Amino acid sequence: MTRYFFQRMLLMIPTLIGITIVTFGIMKLAPGDPAELKAQTVQGTLKGGSLPEEIIAETRKLYGLDKPVWEQYARWVWRLVRLDFGDSFKDHRPVLAKLKDAIPITLCLSFATIAITYIIAIPLGVVAALKPRGWLDQLIAAGLFILYSLPAFWVAMLLLVFFAGGEYWNWFPLTGFISDGAERLPLLNRFANIGWHLVLPIVCLTYGGFAFLSRFSRASMLEVIRQDFIRTARAKGLSEWRVLVRHALRNAMIPLVTLMGTLLPALLGGSVIIEQIFAIPGMGRLGFEAVLARDYPVIMAIAVIDAVLTLLSLLLSDLLYVVVDPRITFGSRS
Amino acid sequence: MLLAIVLGLLGGCQYRVPRDAGGLTIALAADPSSLNPITSNDAATGEVLSYVMETLADRDPATLAWRPKLAERWEVSPDHQTFTYHLRDGVRWHDGAPFTADDVLYSYERIMDPAVDAAVLRGYYKEILHVEKVDEATVRFTYRQPYFMAFEFTAGIPIVPKHAFDDGTDFNTHPAGRHPLGTGPYRFVEWVTSRRIVLERNPSYWRAAPAIDGVVFRIVPERTVSFQALKKGEIDFATLFPVQWARQTNNPRFLDRFTKHRYYLPTEMYLGWNIRRPYFSDRRVRQALTMLIDRERMLARTEFGEGRLISGPAYPDHPSYDRSIASWPYDPASAARLLDDAGWTDSDGDGWRDKDGIPFRFRFLYRAGSSRGDLLANVLREDLQKVGIGVDAQRLEWTTYVKTINDRAFDAMFGGWVGPVEMDQYQLWHSSQAAKGSNHVGFADPEADRLLEAARREFEPEKRAALYRQLHRILHEEQPYTFLLNPPELVAADRRFTNVRAYTLGFESLEWGVNRAVELWQ
Repeated sequence: MTRYFFQRMLLMIPTLIGITIVTFGIMKLAPGDPAELKAQTVQGTLKGGSLPEEIIAETRKLYGLDKPVWEQYARWVWRLVRLDFGDSFKDHRPVLAKLKDAIPITLCLSFATIAITYIIAIPLGVVAALKPRGWLDQLIAAGLFILYSLPAFWVAMLLLVFFAGGEYWNWFPLTGFISDGAERLPLLNRFANIGWHLVLPIVCLTYGGFAFLSRFSRASMLEVIRQDFIRTARAKGLSEWRVLVRHALRNAMIPLVTLMGTLLPALLGGSVIIEQIFAIPGMGRLGFEAVLARDYPVIMAIAVIDAVLTLLSLLLSDLLYVVVDPRITFGSRS
Repeated sequence: MLLAIVLGLLGGCQYRVPRDAGGLTIALAADPSSLNPITSNDAATGEVLSYVMETLADRDPATLAWRPKLAERWEVSPDHQTFTYHLRDGVRWHDGAPFTADDVLYSYERIMDPAVDAAVLRGYYKEILHVEKVDEATVRFTYRQPYFMAFEFTAGIPIVPKHAFDDGTDFNTHPAGRHPLGTGPYRFVEWVTSRRIVLERNPSYWRAAPAIDGVVFRIVPERTVSFQALKKGEIDFATLFPVQWARQTNNPRFLDRFTKHRYYLPTEMYLGWNIRRPYFSDRRVRQALTMLIDRERMLARTEFGEGRLISGPAYPDHPSYDRSIASWPYDPASAARLLDDAGWTDSDGDGWRDKDGIPFRFRFLYRAGSSRGDLLANVLREDLQKVGIGVDAQRLEWTTYVKTINDRAFDAMFGGWVGPVEMDQYQLWHSSQAAKGSNHVGFADPEADRLLEAARREFEPEKRAALYRQLHRILHEEQPYTFLLNPPELVAADRRFTNVRAYTLGFESLEWGVNRAVELWQ
């Protein structure tokens, strides 16, 4: 097991290098040059008037874009090895500092979103599986698919107008993560202030995820209920509750546990649309703005973080299989 | 569980924060890239710094005339190449250090330093031969050759405090770029990235300090959301969309609380016809296209009637715009005749006009995310189809859009710009700028070239304006662009602020008063 773990970790290195090379290449192939863009836009519109070539060349040199692509890549890797993601082209701040601003906010949102999705979706799936094709199952399925099909930006605007706009129910704040000046509140009240701000964004982020997870747990539950050991348990005379919770549910959860591994990259992904509408400065907005401005150092930093998390989550899923299912082992057979 | 905790807390404790009625809260559509006026040129930076920093002189928003700011007075040499500014006595930076000629000199040197990320500014000042410090309170700029924009460039040069920056570290990443020191009416307090920027009144301002206690910029990327925040009373001052101005803010509830203001900046929208393409090489075709676009209807439909139709490139409130020129009317019948005259007829009977075997079907380039662009693309497709011209919308993301225009790889484009009050139009129309410069459409006309060259060296404002009015007439005949409109700035401000007036170029917040007897929450 330990050996397997280290083998997998070693294998991740060439994979990661491959991913960064491809990302770097795609980024460079995308039309648009940050130096030219900077030289030609004033206040977000095209600048009337042209710049001499030598000034654009100077800017390119300043950003390190005058070197051949392979050298730019090599320099980037060398910095990365020392855990330096470079400075953003946009504001010359270290990329790490920008990530440090955005990551806690996104983590907080994602944890809450994932937790709430699981807490609501799994029981719904299980309940639906008890009487497949019964009226409750059909009702849950229809309800969740309706939710799934509502576009988030539309729901977000409706929620804002009705619950935060001040004209109908003035329950929640319109934007942001915390009130200005909330630093002065006692700790508990400050958390309440954050929670109060996050209710609407979290509603928008969760409702669409219910459908997938609850269908998944329903299928998994149905699979287990059909098996022989459930029939045996019932034949033994166990109560229905005990059969379902102790025997069926536990086994049905195995695929769900391993699914959790894949959530790791989602934790830091952030959501562009929701962050934009609610003015929450998270990872989604950071990445989106970096792509629009061709802010290469930020784009690459986010790509690396996503790649590492994805690789780790794949490994984690495989390891979790062994943990939850004793029948699976790695290489210890020989 | 989290939700349960939250709901529990909501019931039990004070989680809201009051807002100070003496301050002004403004919605800002984007986080500034930095607050260093030399390395950053985005709109958000400019808006924030307009409260903090000052230049040697600026334009009076009412009269458009230059008025002294950090310079008390100035002299221009008879050959129009030397500009001597006498700095105001007793001006201090927000940290108390005196403002001197060294600061101006240092700022100029940083702009010209290739290690400083100031490409656009360096382009403006490259014609300067040298800048000298005559004495502590006098600076002199000398140009290589006379140029009418030279005064505007020198008077408006961004000035940063030398003592805050000049410590041998990198200028681009210097912390003072995120903690700006200025000489202006407000001083910087804090910047919470992507959330807010806070300024407070500068009590030792060299003029009378403002009545407002401070300014808070709240960063709200979505304009519909900042409008909600305005209505709810979380912000005091916001720009409105035409639809909000015309349809959603005329109820008594809104008007009891806010005043509405309209003014026009030198902003312009146009359709550019790439003259290098066979479709648009003939002036008659370009005139016909202009006559095929119902701009009155467009104004009513997309702008709710808010905006001024224009016929040329200059700022309509400036004398270089010829008001006597009437735009081409909407006249599809005459347009069809012009197209026939130019040889674009449906010779093969397939329903589309063609000439020399080329069907009249062009690509229309606009920026993704521009709702005006989407609407225009639809209007063009429908209207031009009726006369046998095909339009393919080409909707590109901003960076790619800019690149496509630079490479001249477009047929027709929808564009816009924000210019200075009086613009040097050389870059836009001179034939020498067609290959590399901003003359993207490839316009070339010997008479226009002559006027553009003459205007650059004409220092009598009235004579220069006359030259530009002549140019306006040529452009009107030639139609390298279909000039669309000058959109207004539409603003709502809380009635708590008194004496709020919109002049030609906008507001003068220094003259505002504030009524503090109001309770506000955020």
